[in-house]
Amino acid sequence: MNLLEIKDLTSGYEGVQILWGVNLRLEQGKLTTLVGSNGVGKTTLLSTAMGLLRPWQGTVTFAGQDVTNLPAYARAKAGMVLVPEGRQLFTDMTVLENLEMGAFSKRARASFQKNLDQVFELFPRLKERAKQKAGTLSGGEQQMVAVARGLMAEPEILILDELSLGLSPLLALTLFESLTQLKKTGLTMLLVEQNVSMALAVSDYAYVLAEGRVHLQGPARDLLKNDEVKRTYLGI
Amino acid sequence: MTQILPSIVDGLLIGFVYGVAAMGLTLIWGVMRVINLGHGATMALGMFCTYLLFAHFALNPYLGMVAVVILSLLFGVIIYGVALQRVIQAGYLSTLLATFAVNMIIIGLGTWVFTTSPRNIDFSAGSITIGPVILQGTRLLAALAAVVITGALYLFLHFTRPGKAIRAVSNNRAAAELMGIPSSYVLALAFGLGTMLAAVAGGLTSTFFPFTILSGSTYQLKSFVICVLGGLGNPLGALLGGLFLGGLEGIIPTFMPVSWVPVVEFVLFVLVLVVKPTGLLGSK
Repeated sequence: MNLLEIKDLTSGYEGVQILWGVNLRLEQGKLTTLVGSNGVGKTTLLSTAMGLLRPWQGTVTFAGQDVTNLPAYARAKAGMVLVPEGRQLFTDMTVLENLEMGAFSKRARASFQKNLDQVFELFPRLKERAKQKAGTLSGGEQQMVAVARGLMAEPEILILDELSLGLSPLLALTLFESLTQLKKTGLTMLLVEQNVSMALAVSDYAYVLAEGRVHLQGPARDLLKNDEVKRTYLGI
Repeated sequence: MTQILPSIVDGLLIGFVYGVAAMGLTLIWGVMRVINLGHGATMALGMFCTYLLFAHFALNPYLGMVAVVILSLLFGVIIYGVALQRVIQAGYLSTLLATFAVNMIIIGLGTWVFTTSPRNIDFSAGSITIGPVILQGTRLLAALAAVVITGALYLFLHFTRPGKAIRAVSNNRAAAELMGIPSSYVLALAFGLGTMLAAVAGGLTSTFFPFTILSGSTYQLKSFVICVLGGLGNPLGALLGGLFLGGLEGIIPTFMPVSWVPVVEFVLFVLVLVVKPTGLLGSK
């Protein structure tokens, strides 16, 4: 079953068209990766899918419901959760307060304690730093808060934009491992990554975005062997 | 010394009220980056609200404050919905003009209804004499109210869900939306709170100074000076800035003509802007 379906989506900023009819389907329980060079519209696609940006054309369907015209907060309430690029934490608030804000919706609040325990288990470091202001943490810890805050929202689908950007390889690996753990719980995820080999290695399915369109798609395993993907994104 | 001390104490007590007014301005700026030019007019509305309740229903001004709180909160939320929501993303000039328009409408209608003849609330809460200092009851109560309001605001922002949502939206609006926080409603609430603080400060002022519908503009300017002193966006800084300005207004007339007070205040304002534009207590 497709949990999220994006159909013929076009969008852009102030008259500059960035997306030229994107089609994308996320299957329930699967980890999907979206790959593409800088500037092909990955972040624009996510912003439009989440409702931060109005689409020009096309539809976004989540769990069988047309959400194209819902504001961003309503999509988050319904279970579409984006961990944005560059963390976008509430830097003046404590780690715990950030997590509380993640669980703002009624649905998420109901299982606040359960999710908090789960998140602290996944990132024990955050438990130690719970009372600290998010802005004072290191880059890796901030990324953990960003993911944890997303998980607190009780997502049906978790979208992670540039999870490993600016992190050491070791930290990136740790975060990717937590993704495979989350996958085991049945969470549907969309990963947007510049670390293509790592992303494809953990994913079930992948899309390659180029010039505002889906250029290639297929099982992640197959794309890893694709010559063009190797040349363009893996540098082999 | 026997002259200066009472003046300082008097100034400080008024300073608490200045602080509350400035807090309203600084809260709105801090959360939504809007400079509310309707701030002074809102204070004047608070004065008239308190006055009308006192004059027509003989309601104690401090009980009247409860009505001022509720009405001004509602008023602020409505003003946000009508005048600001549509232009909030459009940049400083648009929001500045929108709040200026609100200011002109309030003053225009207020002048038509109330004229500009001065009113005053003839209410005494007694006085306490300590050595050379005579403490007016109304000023003491106003200062006390200011402290209670500041404390309540702090608790609200740090320990309640809507309060934390205000801080989250102020910190990062897009991220708050993504976490399921309806940021438009949160901004409306923040504007309502800022408006309420202005109106309450106005109401408290009306118990010790005569006023007209135009009185707000002086206090609005003072609020700007205080916000700059305390650092824009910093509520505690606003209170301390208010105390500082109030104290200054108490001291200056003991060795200079009263008409020099605004001169000193604005020289200070410019100096702070030149030397430390983030405010004496500002961090960023």
